[in-house]
Amino acid sequence: MFKYVLRNMWRRKARTFLTVFGIVVGIFALTVLGALSARLNQQVNGARTWYSSKISVVPKGSSLFGADNSYLELSKVPEIQAVPGVKNAVAGFGLPLSDQSSGFGTPELIIGADLSKAKDELELIRIKEGRILQDGDQGKVVLGSTLAEKFDAKIGETVELRGEPFEVVGIYETTLSAPDSFAFVSYEDALALFRAANPYFQVKEIAATIDVIPEPGVDMEDLAKRIDESVSGVKVISPAEAEKQISQFSLIFNAILLGIGFIALIVGGLSIINTMIMSVSERTQEIGLKKAVGAETGSILGEYLTEASLIGFFGGIIGMLLGLLAVNILNRVTSSNNVTIFTVTWMVVVGPVIFATILGTAAGVFPALRAAHLKPVDALKED
Amino acid sequence: MIVVSGLKKIYKIGDMEIRAIDNLDLTIEKGEFLSIVGPSGSGKTTLLHLIGCLDLPTYGGISIDGAEISTLSASDLTRIRREKIGFVFQEFNLLPVLNARENVELPLRYQKVPSQERHRRAMEALEMVGLTDRANNRPTQLSGGEQQRVAIARALVTKPVLVLADEPTGELDTYNTCRIIELMRDLNRETQQTFAIVTHDPMVADYTRRVVTLRDGKVSSDEAGLEQELTCE
Repeated sequence: MFKYVLRNMWRRKARTFLTVFGIVVGIFALTVLGALSARLNQQVNGARTWYSSKISVVPKGSSLFGADNSYLELSKVPEIQAVPGVKNAVAGFGLPLSDQSSGFGTPELIIGADLSKAKDELELIRIKEGRILQDGDQGKVVLGSTLAEKFDAKIGETVELRGEPFEVVGIYETTLSAPDSFAFVSYEDALALFRAANPYFQVKEIAATIDVIPEPGVDMEDLAKRIDESVSGVKVISPAEAEKQISQFSLIFNAILLGIGFIALIVGGLSIINTMIMSVSERTQEIGLKKAVGAETGSILGEYLTEASLIGFFGGIIGMLLGLLAVNILNRVTSSNNVTIFTVTWMVVVGPVIFATILGTAAGVFPALRAAHLKPVDALKED
Repeated sequence: MIVVSGLKKIYKIGDMEIRAIDNLDLTIEKGEFLSIVGPSGSGKTTLLHLIGCLDLPTYGGISIDGAEISTLSASDLTRIRREKIGFVFQEFNLLPVLNARENVELPLRYQKVPSQERHRRAMEALEMVGLTDRANNRPTQLSGGEQQRVAIARALVTKPVLVLADEPTGELDTYNTCRIIELMRDLNRETQQTFAIVTHDPMVADYTRRVVTLRDGKVSSDEAGLEQELTCE
């Protein structure tokens, strides 16, 4: 039966090829975007772990991802520290590693933290080599894994952050998320770098974020609420709130992915339906003959459904392989900049093929039913 | 045995009623070799389709080996076609993507016969029509006469009680016409299968044992054929 269906498809090589190609285009796009989405979801999940184990306090009006040139005064730190349940309120200061944008993916940031209190936070990521920053460290840096690779840094070596030399004292393990491209320094060092970059911006003692580590056993949501009530002029982002912001971000991207999938569905599906209707009407007499010699409705139905699903399957396989090839090449090209744009998960490989096969089968239902329910006598008369 | 009684087939085209078969009675005994003749539009092919369970009558009954087909469901009719009837068509109707043997195997496939036995029986049927050496050829590589022989092998492979042929020689030259008729008559004599051949070729009718003539959907004459001996050259 399979052999027979394949031979039938081969009869109209050009048409079969074009229909398959239509699916290939859709599935190619789906695979590439799927790999992109997998990478983003990976980063988002990393960010989720990073952000949801603490409460972030940011200036009013800004969000987890975007600080719009507004800063917190350091006087907020003792205020927050005074809220019952707060173990440590850590002033933090982030600025871009370079003024040129690194393009796609998580930004490369210099993160300054108040080292006298930041131990709990800095221990959130496992250290691979060396040690985490300690109170009193100056001109020292702990690098996220991506940055370590980019600088080809070893413990004890010196790297330049915005033109200033820093000694590498530690390198974090890969988390596949935001902190991989962070360079952790002391709060004072970060502020100094900021001042050097913005000589006309009169800054005193400021912080971009204040991260709150709760006492053990304290409910983070309740604590966030208490901070919000007792400290004015700040926005408190609780783990739940962070989760919401992160989800929103990935939701938008997944919606785009779904949109592409939907377009592939309509375009590919219609072209399969079209091809199958043409095949059925071309072979009407053959269908009549088969019925005359005793074919059941079901076997005609099965034959045409198989043909349609094979179109989908071949289109899916080819589109997916081309997609993987493109993803591989793009990753190679960008790897020189230490940026990984795509991640290939098994879902990225298997998903589009299954999707295309189901799509093909579904698109075949209508033409196959039409073929199966032809009256033998009418079908035989057809020329 | 096939008994047709009070058979009517009426087509409606717009407001017009066309009585393709109009109150027709006919009995065909087992093992007969008969031709059905008549002018175009006399209802020959329609009758063949009705007897072959490819179409349903408007009124009247057809019984095949005691089974009244008007009471049967579509899947029962499929089963009767599959088990009791073999068809031969004017245009051969071989599937172009299958070779001769695979075409002959097709009805057995629908009977779910295992592949080895299918193969064996198809080769047997091809031997009966003298085409074993063409078993692996596709229809496009065969002459018209050869294609019709393959079609006959396909009709016979299930050992049906009734073989219905609709203008089987319509596309063939005189020599091949003669060979096909000769083949069908020999098979009829050997196997005692019933053959009913629709034709408008007087030569074909002359070779059969019984000639039923239709006119306006009715039997206008039903007489013994000349049953001439064949000499194909």
